[in-house]
Order: sequence, then C-alpha cells, then structure tokens
Amino acid sequence: MEDQKAPETKEEPDLQYVQYEPAKEEQFLPAIRQLISKDLSEPYSIYVYRYFLYQWGYLCYMTLDANNSLIGVIVCKLEPHRSGTFRGYIAMLAVQETYRGRGIATNLVRLAIEAMASRSADEIVLETEVTNTASLKLYERLGFLRSKRLHRYYLNGNAAFRLILYLKEGTALKRPDPAGQGHGHVHEHGHEHGYGMGIESGMTS
Amino acid sequence: MADASLRHSTASAQDQNTILTNNESGCSKAQEQPLRHPLGGITPKIHDVTEKFTKACNALEVGQLVKDDYFTLFESIGAIEIMDPKMDSGFLQPGETLEDDYDCLTPLLPEELIGIMDQLLCYEMAWHTGYPLSQTLFTSLYIDKLLWPETRILERAQFYRGDIPDDKRPGPLLQVLRAYCLALIKGCDFVIAKIAARDYFEEEDFCTQTYNRVLFVSIPMDVFLRELDSAMEVVEDESLEINTALRSAIHSRLEFRKDFLRAQDLDLPLDLISYSWPTILENLGTLKNTHQLGQVVPGAFSTKMQRRLASTVPPRPIVELEFKDALEKLQQLCTDCKEATRFISLPQDPLEYQSFLWFFASRSPAPLAYSRSYLATLLFHPDVLQTSVSLPLSDVKTLVFPASPVLDPVNWTFSPPRNPMLPKPPRLQLAMLVDEFVDRCGQPYLDLWVALGQNRCRLRRMLTHVITGWDMLQADASSVDADISQAAEELGITDQVLEFSLSTWVYHKKLWMIEKIILLGFEQDIYLPDEFSGMYLFLSLIATRRKELLKRVEAHYLRRGEQLLKSRNLRDAQEVDDAGPYLDSLLAEAEGVASLSLALARFYIILLYLHMLPLPKRPFAKEELRYELRMKPFLSLQPPEAPPFEDFKAHTQPYGDFAAPDPAFQLDLNDMASDLWTEVDRHLKAAKEAFADVKKMGPKAVKAEGVATAWNKDVQSALASCIALGVAVAGVKGAVSKTNAASSESLGIKVVIPESGAGKRYAEGWIVAKILKME
Repeated sequence: MEDQKAPETKEEPDLQYVQYEPAKEEQFLPAIRQLISKDLSEPYSIYVYRYFLYQWGYLCYMTLDANNSLIGVIVCKLEPHRSGTFRGYIAMLAVQETYRGRGIATNLVRLAIEAMASRSADEIVLETEVTNTASLKLYERLGFLRSKRLHRYYLNGNAAFRLILYLKEGTALKRPDPAGQGHGHVHEHGHEHGYGMGIESGMTS
Repeated sequence: MADASLRHSTASAQDQNTILTNNESGCSKAQEQPLRHPLGGITPKIHDVTEKFTKACNALEVGQLVKDDYFTLFESIGAIEIMDPKMDSGFLQPGETLEDDYDCLTPLLPEELIGIMDQLLCYEMAWHTGYPLSQTLFTSLYIDKLLWPETRILERAQFYRGDIPDDKRPGPLLQVLRAYCLALIKGCDFVIAKIAARDYFEEEDFCTQTYNRVLFVSIPMDVFLRELDSAMEVVEDESLEINTALRSAIHSRLEFRKDFLRAQDLDLPLDLISYSWPTILENLGTLKNTHQLGQVVPGAFSTKMQRRLASTVPPRPIVELEFKDALEKLQQLCTDCKEATRFISLPQDPLEYQSFLWFFASRSPAPLAYSRSYLATLLFHPDVLQTSVSLPLSDVKTLVFPASPVLDPVNWTFSPPRNPMLPKPPRLQLAMLVDEFVDRCGQPYLDLWVALGQNRCRLRRMLTHVITGWDMLQADASSVDADISQAAEELGITDQVLEFSLSTWVYHKKLWMIEKIILLGFEQDIYLPDEFSGMYLFLSLIATRRKELLKRVEAHYLRRGEQLLKSRNLRDAQEVDDAGPYLDSLLAEAEGVASLSLALARFYIILLYLHMLPLPKRPFAKEELRYELRMKPFLSLQPPEAPPFEDFKAHTQPYGDFAAPDPAFQLDLNDMASDLWTEVDRHLKAAKEAFADVKKMGPKAVKAEGVATAWNKDVQSALASCIALGVAVAGVKGAVSKTNAASSESLGIKVVIPESGAGKRYAEGWIVAKILKME
C-alpha cells in the first residue's frame, strides 16, 4: 500500500514561501515567536531565535498569506558536528492551526532540505516526540529514519525519537576531526543536544 | 556520567547564570560572583560601563546582532527574559503576592495531617520518576521551613526559627508532621547519594539538584528514627483526642516512613537488606485503604516556592501524581529493590550475574533510576564480588577452556628463568598470556555491566559503543591466541587447545550484544514496517554467525572429550561433559533467534510485495544511504558484519522493485510449494524446535538459574511469537489461495503491527504482524 493520504502539495496561489533574512527581523520575528511558542509550555527567549536566525537565516523559510501574515515557519541550522559530519538540524517547525493538513509543513521541510543539501550537508537530524504521529509521518514520508529513542527527552517527561536523513554517501563513516575542536560551539557535556520543550509541536500534515 | 543536556535547558542554565545581553562580552552573573565574595581581602574594583554600552548599542541597527563565538546555543536556551511571566519566576501578576501567606504553625486536623503526608508521598514518587525537587517535594512549605535557613542542629529544624511565644508552639500533630518530613528529607539524601554514586544521566534518569538545600547529610539516621519513635508515642498517647481510625492511619504512615528510611540506609549490612523491602510491601495496603481519611490542604504546597529555590529558572507547574499512581510507583520501586537484593545470593558465576542484569533491565514496567542504582551498588559491592577467580576468566573458562591445559593451575607455579634473556618455560608463558588477557578484559567487561544498568533507551545506544570496545578486545585476543598456540605447539598440546579460543569467546559475546541491539531496536520502534524484513534478515545473519562459532566450540568439546577418555583422564572428561549443557543451550538459542528472524524476514518480504505494509515515497532518501545509516553502529567492526548493500538488496528484494515485482513473484505466490512459502515454514519450524529445546534444557543450563521465572517467561514468549507468526502466515496463505489475487485490496485481509510497550506483542523484540480479515 502506498502511504495513504500523502498530502497533495497543492498549489495554493494565496500562499507564498519566503526565505528569511535579517532585515526582516522587525517585521517577522514577533510573529515567528508567537507561532512557535503557542504550543510550548515554556517559551524560548529571544536569544534562541536570534541564535538561529542570525547565523542561519537562509535556512529559515516562512509561509505567508496574501496579506503577508505568517502562516508557517521552519528554523534550522547547519554546522560541523562533533561526530565529524556537516550536520543540518531542524530546530523548529510550526504551521497555524487553521492551515494544517494542506501540506504546508511538508513544503517548508522540503525547502529546508533542499537548502541544506545545496550547501553540502551530510545529514539532517531532528527530534520529535514519540507520540507525535503527525510529525513522524511527515518526516518519514520524506525519507527520514528513526535512529534513536531518547528517554525522558522533554520537560514533560516524554520520550523523543531522533530522526535522520543522510544526504551523502560515507556519512556514517565520518569521524571527528581531531584538530577541529570548537567551531565556536562548546558541547560542554558531551551530550546529544536538543532543544526540548516540544519544539516540533504545532505540526500536522 | 552526569549529562546535563540542553533539552532541560533552564535547569542547567542555573549553573550557567546566563542572562545574556547582546553586547560583546555578556555580563553574566558568573563574572559577578567573585565580587560578592571577595577572596583574600582584595577589594573589588567597579567599572561603570553603562555609558560605553549605551553608545555602542546606538551604533547598531535594529535586528543587527553582535555575537561572539562563545555564545552557544546552550546559553541562548538558558537565557530568560525579565518581566515575561512565562520565563521570569519573579514576575508578579497584578495583585499577586511574592510569597504565600500560609502559616505553617496553624494547628492541623488529623485528617489534614494524613492529607499532607499522602501528598508528600505523591511528590516523593514524582521525584523518583525523574522530575526535579522544585516541581515536587520542594513545593511543600513545611519542607522549606525545615530546610531554610539552613541549620546543622536538628532541634532547630522546625516550622519556625528562633523564639516564638508558647501559644504559637506547634501542637502534637505538627510535631508528628515534622518528624515525618525530617525522615522523608533524610530519605531523599540517601536516594541522591545512592544514585549519584552510580552511572546515571542527570535530568534524564533522575534530578539530584537540591537548590543549595542540605538534606541533613551529616546527621545520622538514628536521630531520624528517634524522631519518628517519639512521634509514634505522641500518636499512641491516649490523651491525644482523636478517633481510632485516624490514629492508626497516622501511625501506619509513621511506621512506613521508618521502614522506608531504614531500607534506604546506605550502610545497611548486606545480610539485612533482603528483610527491608518485604515489610514495606506488606504495609502498602494500609496506606491505600486509609488514604480516603485524609483531607487535602492545598495551601501547604505552592509553585511560588520555586522563586526561593532558583531565580533563573522559569516557573514550572507542580507535577501532580495521583495517590493511586504514586503507590503503584512505590510498590514497583520496593518490588524491584526486593528483586535486586536477590543478587547477593546468586551462584558466584559471572554468567549468572549477566543473566540477572539482563532480566532486571528487561523488567516491565522499567525499573526506576533508584532501583537500578540499588542493584548496581550491590553489583559493585566489594563483599559481593569476592571471588577467587577473576570474573572474566571464569566466563572465558566456561565457554572455551573446560579442562584445558591452558588454565592448568600448574602453569602458575613456574618461575621465570633468572636470566631474562632466556626464553620462559611455555607453561609459564601460558599463565602470563592468560593473566595479561584477563587484565585487558576488565574494562570492556565492566562497560557491558554498566550498560546493562541503564535505562532501556540508553542500554541500546550504549551497547553500540560497548561492541566497539569488544571489537578492539577481539583484535588483541587474536594476537594472544597466536602466542597461546605457539606455546601449545612447544608443549605438543596443540590438539588439546581450541584454535583462537580467546577471540572466539570475545566474538561470541560481541555477536550476542549485536543481536540484543537489533532486538532492542524493534522493541523501541526504531524500525519502520518496511525495514522489518531487512533488519530481521540482518539479525538472522548475526545469530547464524554466532551459531557457527559455537559449532566450532562444540567440535572441540567432542574431540577433547574423546582424547580425555582415551587417556583415561575421567575427571577432566567429566569437566568437558559438564560444560556441554551450557554450550548446547547457547547453540539452541542461537538457532532459535536465527530461524525465527529469518522466518519473519521472509514473511515481511511477502507482505511488502503484496503492498500490505506502508511504503513511504521518500523523495529525499536514497536506499543505499538509508542502509548506511542503519548499519552505522556495525560498520567499523572486524570481521565486517554488515553485508554489502548489493547483497542486502538482493536478499531483501528478491523479485526486484516492490512496486513492480518480477512476474516470478506472482507464480511463486500462488504456488504453495514454492520456496517463497516453504522457506518461511521451514525456518519457523526450526525456530519452534530450537526454542522448545532451550526450554527443555532449562535455566540452569544457560546459567540463568537466579532468574528462572523471568527466563522461562522469556523463552515462552519466543515460542508464542513463533506460534503467532504461524497463524499470520496461514492467514496470508489462505487469502492468497482463495483469491489468486496479488494485492491487498482484493485479498480481503489487512495487516496490523502490534504496538510496543502495550502488552500487544508476545515479546517486545519480536514484532509479529497480525493478519485480520477485512469487514
């Protein structure tokens, strides 16, 4: 059976997909924050958004309606990972409730994957709650596999799946570059970092 | 192994003290701290940078960010925004007060006392499940009063500090509550000490954070027991006017607290530990039955307490656990700890230990962090592991060296020649090689045991690291093997020694771990339905390798047994004979795993070709790369375990593309005598027979005598999985033969994958699809 109900990526003429850029902070950041915090028990400080948007604004895509109101957004980063890979990470994805089920989230993820692939990412990873079937379906339809289950990953005590999509051959064999300590990122505790708090919420397909 | 991860960012942020500003260096509290505590009388110098800062800021555009390389994601997540009510715990809503106006000295009704005690128990268990004290026990105003401001003298740990008028002094029921709370706090101290001393993951398994509260670390347990005793006297006192039911309910809570505290005692002698848990378990019913006598006192707990604990953490809701659920957790904790105490009476055999650890980790529901630490403490207790023979050596001996000249005690009696230039006697060489290897084994062996003590998700991931260590050990074992065989040659005993004995032992253990990793992957729903066939095929490959390895050992046993009989060495012949059941049991089990997984693989291949499993389109994924990702933990192993992708593909897609299979598929499908069907049946039959053999040989043979019940259940569930698979295969066969059709729509059946952890699978690692008739 073909995976049922694959969302039609309908052309919705009223919606447009726009890449974020720093000059748009004043216009869009408040809406981005609002959309993403909606389903979070604990909001992120503005620095979390700036952390991503300042460095990887080009990996952030927004869905806007005819009035330029924000309908959906995806926020990512892409940098050398301590495992030795050039790793893309989907940090946040949200679509307004009334617009869900139209494939908007899928389109945003597609754009992000393409952007990261064109910048030579080896792999793309993310975490999502084990109970978030809509989110799991969305990513797994696109090609992500579950690589790990993370016990009590979220503040609410729920577990997460780490999802991974390899983009390049030999990714699994990459090893840390011994000289490449600190790409400006201190992984203080040697943990598998994540951003918790149900960041992938607000997601359907 | 404390692993304060970003996901629970803000709790960790507390140590970071980062309320960051987007100026260049950030003015973090960490830098401020020395100012508040000047060391050695150095007077701090204060530089006012306000003007510079403001000026610099004005030069920036809105949205322009100045960020140095040291501002990490970790810090950005730890930051909070002042005056945002969801982030700033100090923010007051209009009309809200900073602190609660609850008076901890107001006399309590007996019902209220019971209510508070039971509520405390709920929070205590919520803490045990992994939530921080700030969202559980430390929301109690009574506990806060006892702990803060800190006092080192227990008499001063009261619901008040200093002098108070006599008429305000706490009455008898408040005294009882105080004793209960003190013992509870001391219990928390014990729990933290036990868990923190073992390998665990902070905030994932458990939160040891106490927010600068000292949980009476230096006050001995006896003092708390005495407090409880006097509280019990207060309750028993006839002059206390209180109805009998309430009196006894309060009394039983004090008794429980006493038993629990004693059970948690870090210094409880080993010969007493097994008595501590059954008593608690017996009395849980009383707590349950008298809970309804209590009356909640909502004001006694408050989220506002968090403000006093950590100012840089956003306010978080109190974790509410129902009393019924809390008791269930408590019962589980006590039962698991009781089970753990059996560890000390196990036969002194590392393989019995390994079985115990494996089955303890497999208990359902999964043991809490405390119970796992409790077992780990016993495992590494110096009095428990007191064996004359090293554990790895005993393990090695069991599999590859029964009655072997390599381990002949005589070898250890030779002295090296005075002249170091002279060659050592070969028997001495054997002894030294074995000693060297046993030494080398220590760490990898320990790593396996530590992994077995982790939560289930970690266990799977840690094993993928542990096998890398064992892989290196295998390489080293091979070189020791070469030296052993040379020494054996010099002694003319080559035919008495199993070739590559040490590396065989290491390889066997490594393969066993790989099997567990794959099965845990199924258990944890790591694989999607269309991956089942490939992963079961891989599992079958690994188990088959292990089986073949064991066959080599078996051949050696036979040869060795004959030799010994011929030379009339009956004692040694008996020893080889005695080693037989363990080997036979391993062989049967490897055969069972290899056959059942192969049968499952072939069954799922059929379902894929019938389009009965979801097959995502995956526009961004390449099949080969998905395979690489799946094989990642095994790619570096030597000998290589992961087959080349082409082989893998050829075996998992024998009729080509699932969307457009080779016409041969249709023919084979309709021919019940084709390999497509007979192979499934053949392997399933082999699996059933093998597991039945394992069952017949029993837990003693496989060295799981200490966990016989759990082991029996495990074998039984493997057998049940075989039967379930037989039913499923018959379901598909029946539908196919009836309709002669080749797609699920026309077959009139559908596939249901039983979900994990819901009691819907006979064995969590053996996923057997159910075939249902469509309505």
